[in-house]
Amino acid sequence: MRWILSFLLLGLLAVVQAASASGNKLLVVIEELAEKSKYSKYLGDLEARGFKLTYESPKSDKVALFELGERAYDHLLILPPKSKGLGPQLTPKILLDFINAGGNILLTLSSSHPTPSALVSLLLELDIHLPSDRTGLVVDHFNYDTISAAEKHDVVLVPRPDALRSDVKNFFAGDGKDVIAFPKGVGQTLGNTSPLLTPILRAPRTAYSYNPKEEVEGVDDPFAVGQQLSLVTAMQARNSARFTVIGASEMLENAWFDAKVKPSAGLTGAASDKAAKTANQAFAKEVTGWTFNEIGVLKVGKIEHHLDEGETEPVINPKIYRVKNDVKYFIELSEYQWDKWVPFQPAEGDNVQLEFSMLSPFHRLPLTLSSTTPTSTIWTTSFKIPDQHGIFNFKVNHKRPLLSNIEEKNTVTVRHFAHDEWPRSWAITGAWPWMAGIAVTVAGWVGFVALWLWSKPVPLKLTNSGKKVV
Amino acid sequence: MKFLRSFLPSALLLGANVVSAASSWSFDDAVVSVTSKKAGSTAFKDKLFDHVPLSQDVKVGVDDSLKIILTAKEDSTPKRPHQAFLLLQDPDTGLETTFAFSMKESGKGKVDFTQKDIPVQLLTSKSPLRATLLLGSFGVSKPFGSHVFNLDVSVDANTPLPSYEKPLRYGKLPEINHIFKADPKSGPLIISLFFTGAVLATVPVLLGVWSYLGANLSHLGAATSSAPISHTLFFGSIVSMEGIFFLYYYKWSLFTMLPVAGVVGLVAFLSGSKALGEVQGRRLAGQR
Repeated sequence: MRWILSFLLLGLLAVVQAASASGNKLLVVIEELAEKSKYSKYLGDLEARGFKLTYESPKSDKVALFELGERAYDHLLILPPKSKGLGPQLTPKILLDFINAGGNILLTLSSSHPTPSALVSLLLELDIHLPSDRTGLVVDHFNYDTISAAEKHDVVLVPRPDALRSDVKNFFAGDGKDVIAFPKGVGQTLGNTSPLLTPILRAPRTAYSYNPKEEVEGVDDPFAVGQQLSLVTAMQARNSARFTVIGASEMLENAWFDAKVKPSAGLTGAASDKAAKTANQAFAKEVTGWTFNEIGVLKVGKIEHHLDEGETEPVINPKIYRVKNDVKYFIELSEYQWDKWVPFQPAEGDNVQLEFSMLSPFHRLPLTLSSTTPTSTIWTTSFKIPDQHGIFNFKVNHKRPLLSNIEEKNTVTVRHFAHDEWPRSWAITGAWPWMAGIAVTVAGWVGFVALWLWSKPVPLKLTNSGKKVV
Repeated sequence: MKFLRSFLPSALLLGANVVSAASSWSFDDAVVSVTSKKAGSTAFKDKLFDHVPLSQDVKVGVDDSLKIILTAKEDSTPKRPHQAFLLLQDPDTGLETTFAFSMKESGKGKVDFTQKDIPVQLLTSKSPLRATLLLGSFGVSKPFGSHVFNLDVSVDANTPLPSYEKPLRYGKLPEINHIFKADPKSGPLIISLFFTGAVLATVPVLLGVWSYLGANLSHLGAATSSAPISHTLFFGSIVSMEGIFFLYYYKWSLFTMLPVAGVVGLVAFLSGSKALGEVQGRRLAGQR
């Protein structure tokens, strides 16, 4: 029975993997179903990639993220509502519960309507801040589209983002020359203390966010300026659930997917006369793919550790080691890429690290690539167990921005030397005089016994001084 | 960063562009001044130009406040721009902060700040901060943006800067190789060898002294002829016992050694009483 079940599960898994590493049930929350046609290309792309889309209005009674206490959907896409809230079924608490249950959320904002306060408070929970009056518009007088926003400058043209840091993978680089149109969007600022937040797309340094209702004349106290303004923000929770905020829902509309744009004269003063196609479709695919676990998902395959002291067939994954044993550790890692698992390679300058820890790490060592299979890479290191007995963990705690978290712990006991495992005394040069002493005693004893048994006494003679001589 | 790097050469081009553009933002009557709070005097004052940065760095001390006043113009008519910012950038890290001008309808605007208003990340900058002035507004007019001066922030060496702790970011951590106690080491080999030699040298010394005192094995023949088996067994068992002790040291366990030692000991006891009886006989006979 069990093998049938596992085959069934395997089959299910194969179906699931067609779209995303974590399921393909996607709920699209859209206020008016008629507006679906505006996003038809984007939603069509999603369906073509294997997602099963369900459309619901936030006002509908049927919309429920949980069914009998379990997640009813794997992913959630929220298109900006015109009304003031998202209704009782999509409160910030339920959305957070959805993240805690491992669901991914893609949230889009728009400056056309004030952001519902439910969403503002949800973002606040995650340390993502919106303008306090819930109305903000990102403009840039230096990098706007001269075709569609010659007057209002609210279609900001942003180049493809650079890598967050030199040692972080860039999933959103495209071919580097494209330009992304960010029309009528809301910028966010991010709390500085959370390592879970990652700005995917930052505003150009000349951009700023203002309130189009109140700050018509000029801005004296802007909400946020330049690179501090995040246009697309990613949050990856500790359970690797993903939450992405796209500041401008219009980015995803058909109109902007293949619109031609003409950048204005930037700070550099070099205006381009050529109209270029936006990279919005490709960028939307990458952002959505990242959010819905289609890229940047890591998987651990086999973990193996064993003694490395010249054995031909060492015991694999023993429960116990001795202090100062030489051990070898292997871990197999794969990365999901759109529809398949590929060998995982960390970014240049980054590496996978193994910790050998009891409470705190005693060793933290970089792993080196030992071999590659069609779907995975195998990382290894060998080291000497520290001179301390106790309960230790082989721990791989790989947390990197934009990659799903890996936390693998294998517990082993480390024991003392047994009495017959210490180095023998002849290996210790300092012991040689003492050992020679024992040998001399033995030789003297045997010689003495022989003399006692077989020596013939010699007659005593007296010298003049009265001493005995031979 | 790509954006920033490409900025410098083209900033020079900008001056030319401003002149040639049909409609553009610019400024006039711009004066930057540094006032020292303690002395109440103006320590520095200079006019800003829209096409070249000041050749001299503007120095701001601990108690100084920096003030810029200017008149923004759109095509030489004074007008209020929507955006009038002064950007301060650390050229090493690319970090940037912004001060917004408070502008009037007439296009006159001012901004003033002290060292306290500059974020600590920029205060600790090694090189002078680049100050960039931005003037821009809606419509087709070309915005103005240019490097206007360098700001040299001199911090007070006596008062410590506000502490800045780098926030947690996920990434590679430093390598650890913790060793509790180094392996024990023996002393120099030459000393061990010398004393080993000295100890071993006592055997020939002992044998030499014995032979000097007249030690001999002359009774061996007599002893073996009168009690050959018991003498052989007794001496053999004494030597075997040493051999057993050696094997116990080398690899035997206690339970391998004990029965063998028992057998050899019994042999030594039985043959010893005979052999030593023979020795006693020789003594009683007056031979020793």
